[in-house]
Amino acid sequence: MPLVVLGLSHHSSPVTVRERFAFEEARVPAALQSLRDSGGADEAVILSTCNRVEIYAFTQREPPAAFAALREFLVTCHDFRDPLRDEIYTLSEPQSVHHLFKVACGLDSMVLGETEILGQLKKAYDLALQNGHTGSRLNKAFQRAFNVAKHIRTETNIQRGSVSVGSVAVELAEKIFSRLGDRGVMVIGAGDTSEKTARALLSRGARNILVTNRSQDKAIALAQELGGRAVPFEDWAGEFESIDIIISSTSARDYILDRARLGPLMKLRRNRPLLLIDIAVPRDIEPEVNFLENVYLYNIDDLQAIADDYLKQRKEEVARCEQIIREKAEALLAHAGGRAPSGSVRPAFGHE
Amino acid sequence: MSYLLLLLGFGFHTAAMFLRGFRLDRCPVTNLYEATTFAMWTIVAVYLIVGLWARLRFLGAFASPVLFAIGVFALMPNLDALHGKRPELPAAWTSVHAALMSLSYGAFGLSAVAALMYLTQERNLKFHKLRAVFTLMPPIQRLETAAGRLLASGFILLTLGLLSGVVDLTHINNPHSYRGDPKIVWSIGVWLLYLGLIIMRWRFAQGGRRFALSAIGSFVFVLLTFWGTNVLSPLHNP
Repeated sequence: MPLVVLGLSHHSSPVTVRERFAFEEARVPAALQSLRDSGGADEAVILSTCNRVEIYAFTQREPPAAFAALREFLVTCHDFRDPLRDEIYTLSEPQSVHHLFKVACGLDSMVLGETEILGQLKKAYDLALQNGHTGSRLNKAFQRAFNVAKHIRTETNIQRGSVSVGSVAVELAEKIFSRLGDRGVMVIGAGDTSEKTARALLSRGARNILVTNRSQDKAIALAQELGGRAVPFEDWAGEFESIDIIISSTSARDYILDRARLGPLMKLRRNRPLLLIDIAVPRDIEPEVNFLENVYLYNIDDLQAIADDYLKQRKEEVARCEQIIREKAEALLAHAGGRAPSGSVRPAFGHE
Repeated sequence: MSYLLLLLGFGFHTAAMFLRGFRLDRCPVTNLYEATTFAMWTIVAVYLIVGLWARLRFLGAFASPVLFAIGVFALMPNLDALHGKRPELPAAWTSVHAALMSLSYGAFGLSAVAALMYLTQERNLKFHKLRAVFTLMPPIQRLETAAGRLLASGFILLTLGLLSGVVDLTHINNPHSYRGDPKIVWSIGVWLLYLGLIIMRWRFAQGGRRFALSAIGSFVFVLLTFWGTNVLSPLHNP
């Protein structure tokens, strides 16, 4: 009775298909119940995120029969009647165990090495556990997956560094300021990337956020979303004294901040460090301001270059991670009491 | 781990200094070798105290090589000269004076270490250089604060040390004959130098690079001239 996985992810299907298979969290316990009632699985966990919908299950059936039952369940459950080609993949041991470990470590994620998936996997497992849909075998497999994820995080560099523009900006801010909680952040121009960057700063403790935009309505709307305050575009320099981080993304043709203007403003701030994130194209901030003391200017290319560099480092770590995963998966499978001869159903780990 | 190793080394160092101190019946700061090793001891002592806060433990990474270099210097020949006849000064006040002065140099030394780390990190941030140490080092604002506070602590210790030296001198006959002693003049110069730095930092908000460079420059000046003035001073090197 092996561990089997059936599902679809960003590797196999577009979002237009994935969204139709997604499970709302509230529906998951009932879905798991009907899956078990139909005999499709003895133990099961459903993982549903924006990038994947997967069923992890232990079943009495042979893998081909188990996959057919799980597929039927998934399609019926969502009333999906369009033709499917390779969107849904199936995995049996040992690949299913490898896959579970890879997902837990973020190796199968769209952003390589990201950690959000581990939280989502834990949540999916807890939901199944609390509703009594897991047993000793799935419990062991998932607990082991969480341990492997922890091991990989501490032993490799797969999660080191930031790989998105927003998180690079946050990392830079954390390398300059002791605490983000008491730093003033100003968003100039209400663009998508600047909003994401501001949100990333908020998630790391920034509190005092000011938003300014040529269209005051947009500024007010974004300020409300971010829990900050809108400032008229003509007056933004007046607030400069309390500002430590500026995220600029206006569509202005000329620089809105240049060296001649910033020099006196820095004196007002008693030369406290200032982080300038210029994500506008054409640029909003004159590059020469970086020559001023205590001013740190990064444009979109600088941030992207750092993110790319980190991503390169992460990719170099993949082989190491996969080696660790292979070893851990083999250890788990060996613990199950050895493999059965080929042709028969493999024994699952966890037989007591 | 490095903190524990330093703690162990500090333990041995303390034991050795106590043995020497008991033999001399005073704080073992009677010649250049002893003064150098004592300065090392005080840098480690100050580090071990500030290292109690995990946030400041990073200083050890940069302080250890500096300590090693000073240690090598202390082992140079002829520094551990025989103890000559000293002016008749009370041992207790002399020990207090020497200890306070050394502790202040220890704090100045660590302040320079924090300033050096600040400059390294500041350069990385300014020129967008991504290096391994970049991710491990603390934020520059914390480094700057650490450098500033260590420097201020050093200044307070130096002030107390100089005052204890004055008290010490009042115990001998004709203390005015030492008025022009090079070491005394130099120490007052060092005190004024650090006073200038403190005024520059807190009164005129001259933080950042300029302050870090000044903190390092001042400590290098102290290191380079400490020995020279010691040799020239009849009071400190009889």
